[in-house]
Amino acid sequence: MCYSCGTCVSTCMIQQKLEPEYNPRRLLRMVMTDIREEAFESPTTWLCSACDLCYPACPQEIHISGVIGAVKQLAVEAGYTSALETVVVDEALCSGCGICVMTCPYEAPHLIEKEVNGVMDRFSEVNAEKCMGCGMCVAACPIGAIARPGVSNEDVASQMRIKPQKENPSLVVFVCDWSLRVDEDMALLESYPENVRVIHIPCSGRIDPQMALMALDSGIDGVMVCGCAPGECHFKRGNYISTCKMSLLDRMFGQMELDGGRVRFVQIGTQDRGRIRHEVDNMLTALYREVA
Amino acid sequence: MVDAARHPKIKIKTYTTIDRVEGYVGNFEVQLREKARYVRADKCNGCGACARACPIEVPNAFEMNIAPRKAAYVSMSQSVPLLYTIDLEACIHCYKCVEACGELDAIDFSQEDKVSWEDIGAIITATGFSHFDPSVMPEYGYNRFPNVITAMEMERLNNAAGPTVGDLIRPSDGTNPKRVAIINCVGSRDKRYNPWCSNFCCMYAIKNAVLLKQMYPDIDISIYYIDIRTSGKGYEEFYNRAREMGIRFIQGRPGLITEDETTHNLFVHSEDMTLGKVVEHEYDMVMLNQAAVPQPDADNLSSVLNTVQSPGGWFMEYHPKLRPIDSPTDGIFLAGACQGLKDIPSSVAAGSAAASRAGRILHSDKWEIEPIIAQVWDDRCISAQGKQCGICAKACPYGAIEVEVGKAAKVFTAKCHGCGGCVAECPHNAITQMHFTDAQMLVQIRALLAEKPEEKIFAFRCHWCSYGGADLAGTSHFEYSSNERGIRVMCSARMDADFIYEAFRLGAGAVLYSGCHPPDCSYITGQRVGAARAERLQKTFEKMGMSPGRFRVEWISASEGDKYSRVINEMQKTMDSLGKDKLKTEIDALKPEMEKRARRMYDAPGVTEASNFSDQLPITLTTLKVDDGK
Repeated sequence: MCYSCGTCVSTCMIQQKLEPEYNPRRLLRMVMTDIREEAFESPTTWLCSACDLCYPACPQEIHISGVIGAVKQLAVEAGYTSALETVVVDEALCSGCGICVMTCPYEAPHLIEKEVNGVMDRFSEVNAEKCMGCGMCVAACPIGAIARPGVSNEDVASQMRIKPQKENPSLVVFVCDWSLRVDEDMALLESYPENVRVIHIPCSGRIDPQMALMALDSGIDGVMVCGCAPGECHFKRGNYISTCKMSLLDRMFGQMELDGGRVRFVQIGTQDRGRIRHEVDNMLTALYREVA
Repeated sequence: MVDAARHPKIKIKTYTTIDRVEGYVGNFEVQLREKARYVRADKCNGCGACARACPIEVPNAFEMNIAPRKAAYVSMSQSVPLLYTIDLEACIHCYKCVEACGELDAIDFSQEDKVSWEDIGAIITATGFSHFDPSVMPEYGYNRFPNVITAMEMERLNNAAGPTVGDLIRPSDGTNPKRVAIINCVGSRDKRYNPWCSNFCCMYAIKNAVLLKQMYPDIDISIYYIDIRTSGKGYEEFYNRAREMGIRFIQGRPGLITEDETTHNLFVHSEDMTLGKVVEHEYDMVMLNQAAVPQPDADNLSSVLNTVQSPGGWFMEYHPKLRPIDSPTDGIFLAGACQGLKDIPSSVAAGSAAASRAGRILHSDKWEIEPIIAQVWDDRCISAQGKQCGICAKACPYGAIEVEVGKAAKVFTAKCHGCGGCVAECPHNAITQMHFTDAQMLVQIRALLAEKPEEKIFAFRCHWCSYGGADLAGTSHFEYSSNERGIRVMCSARMDADFIYEAFRLGAGAVLYSGCHPPDCSYITGQRVGAARAERLQKTFEKMGMSPGRFRVEWISASEGDKYSRVINEMQKTMDSLGKDKLKTEIDALKPEMEKRARRMYDAPGVTEASNFSDQLPITLTTLKVDDGK
């Protein structure tokens, strides 16, 4: 039984990064006092991504995301809709392979059969109420049939251009929106000179190994992917997927007898205040040595 | 303490453990082990020359390991008696201490543990509490961030006799902190670690804050809390004073502490509930007000003293409201936080109360006990016939029964508390419990099942818990089936299998076997004896083909009146769903088997007579005419 200590609120990333009105403690209070409409309209109901950072911290062992999920279910039944930016499937491209269905941590996409020009065909369809907009399916889709506005493959590619400088090595940092808990760390990352380009992605699971290859191909010296610590992913298993992808990429470099150190994957935990500075500096030093 | 040491009738034995306790109230024999100090108590004058000469330094546990002590040491300077001890694990045997001690010749490395037996009239347990180690909580970074300290470390740091002579300094760089956060409920009110409220930490946090504020007037102190509990005399006023002094109280349990790695300053992330948003404040130092937990060796002491522990590991009292000082074993008393967390005034009150309770025993020649004790019929006990048995002794939670082959089992009257476990367990009906004899129980069962037994739910209730639960259900007007008929025994351990068979033989529709929840048993382990038997019975009835739910085992505490009524109503539903005809057929089908099993009971003295008597009893009861004079 919740005694309103506020631990969940203080561990939650959403209230800090996205929505100041977000407050799981208040939602639990609404549940306990049966305030329905307000709970259904509350951003807490719709923004919780079930990352469960609050669950191990709760002194009353309440599975808060489970409660929020139940409220969301009731809200959907009552006719409320999600205000989140969700992914869009381009049916002209979709082949109905189902990879997105397997990738999604929220069971949002599912396959449907539909008649197009008199022929039955399979397509993926995304349930907007379940989609949290992590973009993992965007990265997974082999034909680029899924896009999330703002972070489609083209949007990312357009950000990757850095003017090559002779002495200074260039570095692209893909940073997960949720991995740097402290605002100072994000500000610090942004304060690097031009040769370090920061690209924001919704989750490290959004990373497509091709992006890293494209970056190296366009003359950029190094790529760093910054995600959350194991068990702290905002989208349940995005950082696990990215870990797999990055180790695969690493192995590929090994087989091609290329230097794997040019692409690095770092996982920053909630308590690792200031670690990102070391990681970036280390990588720059390594690259500098190589360029020299 | 010094006064106590000077008192002619008080002996203080420090560095001594209790290995064994035998005997009973007023006549305990206690085995004491005085550990070897390697310093002779009769010669040491506490001058400390040995410690000054000793070259070995180890962490000082009294100073929370933030200062060193020597291998020849005294645990704290106010120790009574002031005797030095040689820590042999740290000692390198350089014998410089022997040299330093010189003519006094107090150091004796040949010393060994001294074991002795003492006659004791009453025992008071006042072992206090221990501290929760916050390093198991990664979110607060204790042991990882140097400037996160515990309340006890703070206590040493701001103590004038402490290692810093009262100068509060940061462990990371030795500067005085300007901003200090105090976090309450670290490891307490937390289901993951300790669910209880540690009682005194709120006041303790306020005390430390006020103290620091007085010492460093420009210091900035915040106390993070879930609820501030100031429910003592003058406590709320003290809280108000702290607020007036400018100490900040932030309602919200911090979820995370992060550290700046260059300055080692700490950032406390919490919700400020009054503002309704997350705040991140920077501090120079954070004090964790950690939970109070039972002493690590409380389990061991509990088994030595033969007492019980409440959930969580605190020593259990005889009755939580009416006898909070007495333990369930006569002659053993509980004082202070070892029984449950108490602040200083309550601990002092409990100590005085325990002393006066113990004094009653020491000043009386006779000791009155409840008359419900167990007694052995020597001629029936097979141990007297030279056979190996001892079942009764195994069932006894108090060790009150002594069995020796060739002699009948012997019950030590002063030790017996009358749970009746031995009586129910004895396979030869050789023990009886006064006021709860088999004959008396039989008459009650017969009388209650005299009419329409197949409609009745027969409940066996234990005196301390489920009987109280039934009582509460009544006084709270919780409705339950009027077909319930219950009898009281002292403990579920007394609920003899024969009684259950007899009730079913008489045609009871359903039988409830109820007692305390396992940790609540007033007879230490009586409930376990009863529970084991209930489990056996359940299996037996299952094999016999009895419908599930007709024999039900439930542990109901005295505060669970609602549960009692729910269980009875559920049993009524089970009977209703079976239907009268089916129930009747089943009762008839099982009757021969029940009769066979219940027959053993009639062998007990007085039962046949009681049975003959009770055969007539219901008839007399029902045909009794009321003559109201009309």
